[in-house]
Amino acid sequence: MKYLSIILTFCVLLSCEEENNTPSIPINDNFDPTMATKLKMGSFVGVSGHSVSGMAATYDDNGAKVLLLEPLNSQNGPDLKVYLSKDLNAGSYINLGSLKSTTGKQTYSIPGNPNLDEYPYVLIWCQQFSVGFGRAEMQ
Amino acid sequence: MKKVVLIGILIGFFVEGYTQVQEVNVTSALGNTQGSFSILFQRDWQLWKKKKFAVGVGGRFTSYFGANQYYITAPAKLTSGSTGPLVIFKENIVANIDTFLIKSPQVNSLNLLINLSYKFNEKFTVGFNIDAIGFSFGGNKSGNYINGIVGSRESASPTIFNILLISDNDRGSLNSELYGKYYWNEKWGIKLAAQFLFTEYTTENEVQQSPELNDRFRNKSLLLAAGITYKIN
Repeated sequence: MKYLSIILTFCVLLSCEEENNTPSIPINDNFDPTMATKLKMGSFVGVSGHSVSGMAATYDDNGAKVLLLEPLNSQNGPDLKVYLSKDLNAGSYINLGSLKSTTGKQTYSIPGNPNLDEYPYVLIWCQQFSVGFGRAEMQ
Repeated sequence: MKKVVLIGILIGFFVEGYTQVQEVNVTSALGNTQGSFSILFQRDWQLWKKKKFAVGVGGRFTSYFGANQYYITAPAKLTSGSTGPLVIFKENIVANIDTFLIKSPQVNSLNLLINLSYKFNEKFTVGFNIDAIGFSFGGNKSGNYINGIVGSRESASPTIFNILLISDNDRGSLNSELYGKYYWNEKWGIKLAAQFLFTEYTTENEVQQSPELNDRFRNKSLLLAAGITYKIN
């Protein structure tokens, strides 16, 4: 029984191999920050041994809130999402969508007009494996 | 139809006699990033003259483990909009279904089971067994509760009470197998099975708010299983 459990666990671990499925072609979303009002900004640092760099900024664009990541450089990973989070561990968050690319200028709409003071962190988060890749503290 | 089956079984018992067979089997199952281990004891009554058809009862311990598994809203009232016997034919109401993502689920269950089998000859048997009632236990897990674009980290434990009803009316963690057995001698055999396993977690708080409060989330897994079986008598 002990050996069976070990074999089963080994097989499960083997099948957990991660796939880096986030696009890596640089993108350049059409957004002019000079035409919008900057609300908060922060710079990315990698977490959990991952490398992420670049700036994050939130804007009020004619009443719509937008997150701009520029220039983002993120290590690739599976199922990477962009979260606006109340804490560093995605304890309560708004999912802004899948990371469009590991590099380049990219924008994300912030739905529901949330109070950004309640969401002081932007996280690059691997949802499938519940692992943080990068964080930016917004001030 | 149920009456015909019941009458057939009763005739098998009381008119044509039966033979009792007791069996133990150990089974492991694997799927994509998940698996299970189970030990089963069953007592079968082989019915009618030829003793080919058998009904049985028994007990089964199942230990399920996985990695990064998605659990979805469990109650039939939410998934199907009703709780009647016809829920098995109803499509899921996607808008009512939230998700609870658990990084390393592990659920142990001990259930009474029902077994039906047909013996082709002394070497080959096919059958179906399903857990009916019992209880589950396991550690408290932290998971990602996902409701559309918003999410939060929540704690959950395996749903304690298990009972087989119909489809999403089921509660708790229940194992079932469609199997074939090959006996290489009078006592020992191997079993191959398609294992359909429900596991269920109950969150500490009723995290799902709409369309009504809910704290139960279920994972359904179809696994390929193999095991060894031993006839006690």
